[in-house]
Parts: sequence; structure tokens; C-alpha cells
Amino acid sequence: MKRWLIWTTVFVGSLLVLAFVGLSFMAGSPKDALAMVRFALPHMHVGNLKPGDSAPDVQLVALDGKNRFHLRERIKERPLVLIFGSFT
Amino acid sequence: MGDITQIYKDYGDRADFLTIYIREAHPLDEWQMKSNDKDKDNVCYVQPKTLEQRINIANDFTQRFKFPLPFGVDEMNNAANNAYAAWPERLYIIDESGHISYKGGNGPFKYDPKEVRAWLAQRYGDVKHAGS
Repeated sequence: MKRWLIWTTVFVGSLLVLAFVGLSFMAGSPKDALAMVRFALPHMHVGNLKPGDSAPDVQLVALDGKNRFHLRERIKERPLVLIFGSFT
Repeated sequence: MGDITQIYKDYGDRADFLTIYIREAHPLDEWQMKSNDKDKDNVCYVQPKTLEQRINIANDFTQRFKFPLPFGVDEMNNAANNAYAAWPERLYIIDESGHISYKGGNGPFKYDPKEVRAWLAQRYGDVKHAGS
């Protein structure tokens, strides 16, 4: 029983180490892998929206920092391309 | 963003565009990337804590790249980001009736302006103006 437990622990541990090495390789370095798990994965979502769904309306702020407008105000007689992103 | 700017130049007279600035992907205090360092791209910001900080970064961005697309900034409650599962970057096309016609994948790996160009080309034909 004890031997079984040791082998399971070794197996799971090896898997974790392998996963971390793989992630480090993918992200660039072990530091990047940790940052990815801590800061990126919690914010990345597939979301429930799918083609055919009504586009949700949200309020946005203009670049002057004062005026606000609604996303759906921008839907007119033409398709609307939305580009979400940030600077960094 | 260069691809998107070119698509805007090619199809801006046929479709509307809106860029939405959301929470930063690689700020100094989270997952800073080497490519963002001062000696490279020089985009070093901490994650904005106030709307004013967020607006300032958005303005730095549009001014640095002379970014021509219409622009909106997500509120600090991240309502737009949450509604569209947008972070770190994502593309959508909404049709005239207000329904989602195209939903792109999460950036950076599944963010693909070519798919937006293909959608527009299918509808309006291939348009390619001279690059800037």
C-alpha cells in the first residue's frame, strides 16, 4: 500500500514538472510561465457569445475621458468590426 | 495593429470599425514581456487603477501610431471586456441587424485579422489600397 502511494506521488509529481517545463518553453522562461498562470489564464475566457447572438450593449468612454457612448449606437446600415485590445 | 489599419483603409468606406481599449495584457506589475522593454518596443505601463490612467494609455497608443480607427475605452468595471470575453485581444463582426456574424479567437494565438479581411472580401470583393 505504501509503495503504491509513493509511486503515485512520483508519477503525479513528474507530470506536474513536465507540464511546468512545457509551459516554460511555450511562454519563454520559467518566470514567464509563472506570470502566465498567475496573470493571464484567470482573465482569458472563451465566453458564451456565438454567431447569431444579439451583440451586447456596453457603455464606452471617449478618448477625451469625459464623453460616453453606447456600443450599439455604432451599429448602423453597415457591418461593424470590433477590435478589442490593449497597448502592451 | 498594422493589419487592422490596412483593413480599415481598404474597407472603411463599406463597413464601420470600432476599437475598444481594454485592460492591459502585459503591464509592468503583471506579466511584463521582454519585447515591451524600453530598449525594444518601449511600452512600459503598470495596470491602470483609474479611468484617467486608462485614458492616458489609450491616448499614448493612438498618438504613437497615429491610429486612425474610431476608439472607445472600456470602463473600469471592464463591462465590455466581460461581455465580449475579449482579453487580451479579440475581433468581432456585428451585422446591420445587431447580431454577431463573426467571433474571432482569443489573442495572441487565435487573433487573426485575415479572417476579418476574408469576411469583408466575401461580401464586398477583394479591396487592396496601397499600403502606407
